Amino acid sequence: MKIQQMAFMLIAVTLFFALVGLFVVNVLFSGLKESAALLEEKNTILLASKLSNSPEFSCGGAFGTTKVNCVDFDKIMALKENIKEYGNSQASFWGVSGIEIIRIYPVAGGNIVCSSETYPNCNKVELLKPSSGTGVSNFIALCRKQAKSDEVYDEEGNFVAAYPYIADVCEMAKLIVTYKEKG
Amino acid sequence: MKKTKRGQLQISFAWIFAIIVGAVILFLAIYTATKVIKIGDTAVSAKTGKEISVLLNPLETGFETSVVTLITMPVETRIYNQCSISGNFGRQIIKISQKSFGEWTETDLETSSQNKYIFSESIEEGKNFIIFAKPFEFPFKVSDLIYLTSRDKKFCFFQPPTRVKEELSDLNQENILVEDEECPENSIKICFSNSGSSCDVNVDEFQKSVEKRGEMMYYETDALMYAAVFSDKTTYECQVKRLMKRTNELAKLYDEKQQLLSVKQGCLPGVNLQLLAISANSLADSSNLASMSSIVNEVNVKNYITCFDKFTVYLW
Repeated sequence: MKIQQMAFMLIAVTLFFALVGLFVVNVLFSGLKESAALLEEKNTILLASKLSNSPEFSCGGAFGTTKVNCVDFDKIMALKENIKEYGNSQASFWGVSGIEIIRIYPVAGGNIVCSSETYPNCNKVELLKPSSGTGVSNFIALCRKQAKSDEVYDEEGNFVAAYPYIADVCEMAKLIVTYKEKG
Repeated sequence: MKKTKRGQLQISFAWIFAIIVGAVILFLAIYTATKVIKIGDTAVSAKTGKEISVLLNPLETGFETSVVTLITMPVETRIYNQCSISGNFGRQIIKISQKSFGEWTETDLETSSQNKYIFSESIEEGKNFIIFAKPFEFPFKVSDLIYLTSRDKKFCFFQPPTRVKEELSDLNQENILVEDEECPENSIKICFSNSGSSCDVNVDEFQKSVEKRGEMMYYETDALMYAAVFSDKTTYECQVKRLMKRTNELAKLYDEKQQLLSVKQGCLPGVNLQLLAISANSLADSSNLASMSSIVNEVNVKNYITCFDKFTVYLW
């Protein structure tokens, strides 16, 4: 009888400690998940603020002196053509699941996605198209080279000649970096 | 007599049973506790590795020439700097080991990123780490190079050229000293061309080489010279190859850009970036950098395309 009591007692004690152990492990791992999500968010925020200065995006000296938060639109379109080399939304070179650029001012005709055909008359560049996730944005200057011409008219208002030139056009845009929340 | 014997047997079985089960419970408890502590240590190491990787993001330079920052760890930490050249860009791998109960934790968990280039010894140890970053341009900006050193290590640049002296003095990094007379003891002495024999690192500005522990590393631009000074040969050569992989991709990108400007704006593409891309991609080791520099210089001089016969547009 005593052995039976002791056996039951021991089983109860073991079960109790096993449950306590499980609870502790659960608390430990939920904290870990939380810090992983926090680090992912922090990473994206910091990346969004600095991505425009990375060589694949930055204007460099192409538009006069070096500028901060200036993105070269022509280079971005070239990058879009080569984006496969930089991975996909699952495993990208920058370690994020989405990168998009949206022109916010001036807005020309709706939400046209940029491609080799629509460029530069478009508003949205999808470099890495995110399937889901949280986006963090940063304001940037989106600059490109644009052919323009000075037209000359005579005194009677007749067209005489056009003098083409290349101008620097900089517009306001948003760089959106998306990360997937780990859950 | 028989009764006593039976009673003795009963008591001793109960004791044996209790001892065995008690021992099993104790063993399980100790085993689980050890495992939980180990998992905790591994988790902390992995978290610290990721944290370091995240903290390196703000080091992307804009128009600055260099950035300095300090990372302080709560305990003594070892940072394992590893590098892989697999894939389009290779990988920067960081592994962390921290002191727990007087012993270094062992972990297989690593943090990796494709867009970072850390130059340091393969193991850096300490509680405080000083990081400085400098852009590497070849001829366009390829990336920011990150130099990671333990604050416990003192680097003494002995009689450096004026431009190096000015740059290092401006950094005001506490573990980097610039001396013209004598370097303090226990410091790593970095000498420039013919400065003496008691040097740990010899930089030959004429040959563009750095000699460290009897091994030669070759460089182009000051950013790579610092990289060779602060890292070991294996890390340096691997990171240089990774940088050249990115140079190759960026050269293709700028080539695509000049084609786009030609189609959309009527400009004439004239920069030969294909040659730069090919030579960057085929770089075997740092000794090939010198042969690449002539191509780089040529591309840098011709960094423009012509539009409407008279307007020049810079590519970078």
